[in-house]
Amino acid sequence: MSVSSQTNAGEAHTKTVILGKQSFLSILLRLIGMEIYKIRRRIMSKVLLSIAIVIAILVFFLFSLNTFFVLNAPPDSFSPPCPVTNATSQGQARPNCPPPTTAQVTQFRESVLRNASEPLRLPTSLSLAIQVALSAGTILIIILIGSSAGGEFSIGTVRLMYTRGPTRLQFLLAKVGVAALCAAIGILTITITGILIGQMLNTLSSIPQILDFLSPGWIAHALLYLLIAMLDWFIYATIAIFFGTLGRSTVAGIVGALTWLFLEPILGSILRLAGTFSQGTFGNFLKTIPDYFISNNTGALLQNQGQYIFGGSGSSLSDIHALAVLIAYVAVFIGLSWWINERRDVTN
Amino acid sequence: MRGDVFGFLGPNGSGKTTTIRMLLGLIRPTAGRAIIFGMDTAHQMPSILSRIGAIVETPVFYPYLSAVDNLHVIGAASGMMSGKAKQRRIDEVLELVELQAQAKMAYRKYSLGMKQRLGIAAALLTDPELVLLDEPTNGLDPSGMFEIRQLIHRLAVLGKTIFLSSHLLNEVQQVCNRVAILQKGNLIKQGNVRELLRGSQQVLVKLNTQEEVQQAKTILEAAKRQGADWISEVRIQADRQGEATLLVDTPKSNSTEINAILARNLLFASELHPYEGSLEEIFLQLTAPSGAHLGMAALAGESLTRQSSSIKGPERPEVRKESIE
Repeated sequence: MSVSSQTNAGEAHTKTVILGKQSFLSILLRLIGMEIYKIRRRIMSKVLLSIAIVIAILVFFLFSLNTFFVLNAPPDSFSPPCPVTNATSQGQARPNCPPPTTAQVTQFRESVLRNASEPLRLPTSLSLAIQVALSAGTILIIILIGSSAGGEFSIGTVRLMYTRGPTRLQFLLAKVGVAALCAAIGILTITITGILIGQMLNTLSSIPQILDFLSPGWIAHALLYLLIAMLDWFIYATIAIFFGTLGRSTVAGIVGALTWLFLEPILGSILRLAGTFSQGTFGNFLKTIPDYFISNNTGALLQNQGQYIFGGSGSSLSDIHALAVLIAYVAVFIGLSWWINERRDVTN
Repeated sequence: MRGDVFGFLGPNGSGKTTTIRMLLGLIRPTAGRAIIFGMDTAHQMPSILSRIGAIVETPVFYPYLSAVDNLHVIGAASGMMSGKAKQRRIDEVLELVELQAQAKMAYRKYSLGMKQRLGIAAALLTDPELVLLDEPTNGLDPSGMFEIRQLIHRLAVLGKTIFLSSHLLNEVQQVCNRVAILQKGNLIKQGNVRELLRGSQQVLVKLNTQEEVQQAKTILEAAKRQGADWISEVRIQADRQGEATLLVDTPKSNSTEINAILARNLLFASELHPYEGSLEEIFLQLTAPSGAHLGMAALAGESLTRQSSSIKGPERPEVRKESIE
């Protein structure tokens, strides 16, 4: 730690300029702290976080409506299925089916209610919360990070920052670091909000939350599931940083990343369709291209973890393939942003 | 030199801001290199920047943050530790630029003068050895300009070395002790302001008729040939009223001697007074298109050496090895 003092003519030295460690990592950590401070002070960040929370709450409310309708449905609307006979098949009336007993109706109603309220309870609520995060939430993180990275150029503060001492690489890594942090905080906020709201709304159904699925293995897979969702956000955030840097504006950062987000599934569908219509190797090649898209690979990772959390089958894409593709995307976008930053003159 | 207020002058497009941007690493020179504090800007920029405070053109800050918050951000970017000391330092610089009353106001609500002062506060935050100010009075009203000049004076008293880029020559003349003049990327003059102005000293002589003015010129030129080497040049020029006036390029202390020479030849001046050119006149003389004569004595301070450097492009001067210590 070094101390510099300012000498006022005839006055004693004052030691108010205290500099921290000047190692690469120390500077980077301070810059990440600075970026967090800026994001924390922006109204936009608070608005975006509020929107994310409200969306999570609304989605769980929408899913709870099903439970509400089941609860308020008249008892005669619950007729348990008749035991399968020849006469009951093919849409005929239930001539040989005896009227259900009250116990059967109650049991059937409870079964319907259990199914309807399933998304409000763990583990399904985890899946629902992550789906919310990966749909609407991705747009929000793109807006946040796109405006943070591109805004430095739009406003012109990049000139101020680049003359303060740290290298351009450190400034870029600070943006990347804060994007990762925002992704983690955002995913956790939406997930926790969703799960808690789900639990609250589940009390309507009076069906208890059973936690017998909980095991160290389940928790580990659930944590990986969350990390994959964070990785998905982080990748789109790095795309926003790249486009914001390339286009030197907030608009470029946001529009570039959103275009990528929405264009990928459309392009994927077109390629698969074209691959189906095309014959032979070229057709197969076209159908394989979407396997290298971001959304398909994060989807594959989520599906592969989801089979341990929610059951079901895994993806046709392996974890190794998906991770390699996603890491390549991150490396390319950060690398390109660095290259542009290093080579570019900062004028106005 | 340490403690100097160094003026960096030049017409629009001469390369002042480009040079400053190169010194700060914002843009890269196409050729050449710059040395600051004995360090090469191409390889040791972080070390150099840690000792420099700068504002380049109109300073820009985060509009949603207050002055205090902006300075917190800049402090963190500059490597300052968070804590009470940092807050005290922020208070100190805000007091220095007289922005304490608006410290909590959002930057977007600031007037241009307040923005410039915050820019200077930011430049001073880490107590730098060298302060680079690029057009700090741009867009300011006269009172705003006065405030900034006062501030620069205060900084000079504090022992800061100031590198002030401006095309407002009156401003530079008032605050700088040394200047460099740039034109189309070439450094055409560099030196002490007093020496530059001393080199522009003249004695203005008015006589009753045009014939007397012509006679006086002939007499003074003869005196020069006979050994009065304190006379650099003698010429006739019309004053603002169109009357022929004799201009003698010589230090003002020689006024009595000129009067005596003329009196010995029965020529009696109706007016005789010393005249000192301004930095503006020197600047116009130096930067005028070749062939144009703006009525000023040639500048020839012995300590001032004409330097020039070639440029590769119209906007980017080749940086010569000029050290600023």
